[in-house]
Amino acid sequence: MTQRFTRRQTLKLIGAGIASAWLLPARATAAPGAALEKAIPGTDETLPVIGLGTWRTFNVGSDPQLLNARAEVVRAFFAQGGGLIDSSPMYGSAPDVIGYALKRLGNPATLFSAEKVWGPAGGSAREQVAELAQRWGVKHFDLVQVHNLDNWRENLAALREMKAAGQIRYVGITTSHGRRHAEFEQIMASEDIDFAQMTYNITHREAEKRLLPLAQEKGVAVIANRPYDGGNLIKGLKGREQVPEWAVQECDCRTWADFLLKFIVSHPAVNCAIPATTRVDHLNENMRAGRDPMPSASTRRRMVEFIESL
Amino acid sequence: MSEWSSYRLQDFIPFTSDIYFRLLERMGEAYWPLHLLILALGASAFFLSLRGRARIACFLLAPVWGFVGVAYFFARYGELNWAGNYMGWAFLAQAATLTLFSITHFGTEVSPQRRGLPFFAGVLIAATGLLGYPVIAPLMGYSWFQAETFGIHPAPTAVTTLGLVVISLRGAAMWIAAAIPLLWITVSGLTLVVLDAPWASAPFAILALGLAGLVWAEMERRSDRAKARQAPDKRGLPNS
Repeated sequence: MTQRFTRRQTLKLIGAGIASAWLLPARATAAPGAALEKAIPGTDETLPVIGLGTWRTFNVGSDPQLLNARAEVVRAFFAQGGGLIDSSPMYGSAPDVIGYALKRLGNPATLFSAEKVWGPAGGSAREQVAELAQRWGVKHFDLVQVHNLDNWRENLAALREMKAAGQIRYVGITTSHGRRHAEFEQIMASEDIDFAQMTYNITHREAEKRLLPLAQEKGVAVIANRPYDGGNLIKGLKGREQVPEWAVQECDCRTWADFLLKFIVSHPAVNCAIPATTRVDHLNENMRAGRDPMPSASTRRRMVEFIESL
Repeated sequence: MSEWSSYRLQDFIPFTSDIYFRLLERMGEAYWPLHLLILALGASAFFLSLRGRARIACFLLAPVWGFVGVAYFFARYGELNWAGNYMGWAFLAQAATLTLFSITHFGTEVSPQRRGLPFFAGVLIAATGLLGYPVIAPLMGYSWFQAETFGIHPAPTAVTTLGLVVISLRGAAMWIAAAIPLLWITVSGLTLVVLDAPWASAPFAILALGLAGLVWAEMERRSDRAKARQAPDKRGLPNS
């Protein structure tokens, strides 16, 4: 039997087809909620709590295949409301690779560009910033930090002058692996800085004692590096454990990325965590962790106890 | 916390495993089928070493080191690691050293004894560099272009050279010619450890065998010299 359609039915079917072609993919790729943002202290500007680190992962040289793969990671980052990308002249070709990706994406409006100055790269702080801006393909950086407190007096002074001249918007200092915290604290207490970047994750919480409270007191934004402890932390957990059911119930931690990143960015002093990845599926996991609900103070304590019990 | 104690091996390898194995693959893709020619060159150097023609073997090895220094380190690895350019210079220095030994005969006029630990260790190491290395990656599920080949990639070049040095050079020349291969085999092994490569222990096994061969050869040389000093000369007097 041949089924016959009326004109109205045919039009409805065509309409439904067009609508599904437009709407369904958008719904499928749309994030389940808005990305959580936190304000940079003393400003009205906000930053998404999940940024993108580039140490080791973006140093792909001139290999076209990997350049395109990293551009896809950056594309996914911005598609999910990403903002801060952090790099350094110490990271080899990473600044060039970011530049390649940004050019392909037409310099996304939500980009918050964060770079560093680092002595062994050669040249003065000003020269390094100018060269790095060229490599990224940006006019100005939003944030430039003194990498690992390298020659910090001279570099910080140069960066402040650049900020005063409107060449960069914020200045900061960085450390990692818990190194030189006493000196870091002294600089945070005595110098006028906008950002402090340090290692903070569920197994490395030294920053909780003095640096994070000081950041809150002084109105300094905090970037947490090494959120997965260089990858070892999440790799170890994924290999042997399931995310506990109470974490799913209390803060919708469905993956270890959720568990580890939500722990970090739910600290009141932390503005942003910067996990690095080479893969779009991992990037998607990371970005999901930047969405509500976040763990409460009591849940955060439970998370620590759980990890320490393993 | 002491600052240095906070550093881990991982902090000195500025790339991830996909980047490293892609680098190996790019070398393979860029120079295929040069692999076959250079492999034939390496096999020739191997047989010449076995026949006591160390001078020509050094002459054949020298351009291979120069090529890897330029094509691998300066052109590619240096993009990923600032230390890569220094290694490029080290490979060029090795090429110059082997050329110099070849021209001056320094350390090359030794007939290899076809017995003992140094000989067998050298043969095993050189054979591993020439024939074993190219099949490691494919056996582990990587592509054929990621297979590390003598004369294209630095690790098998260093391994093969170390084997030939243990077979055919002695004295100061042996140690000088072995230094950079030993260094790169160590760096290569540490890199594979950081990148979780399943065959990361292989370079350390080669390193241990190579060092054993070198030390044994040195002890034999010293023992031979001591015997020669004690042997009576034509007048029946001990050599002084």
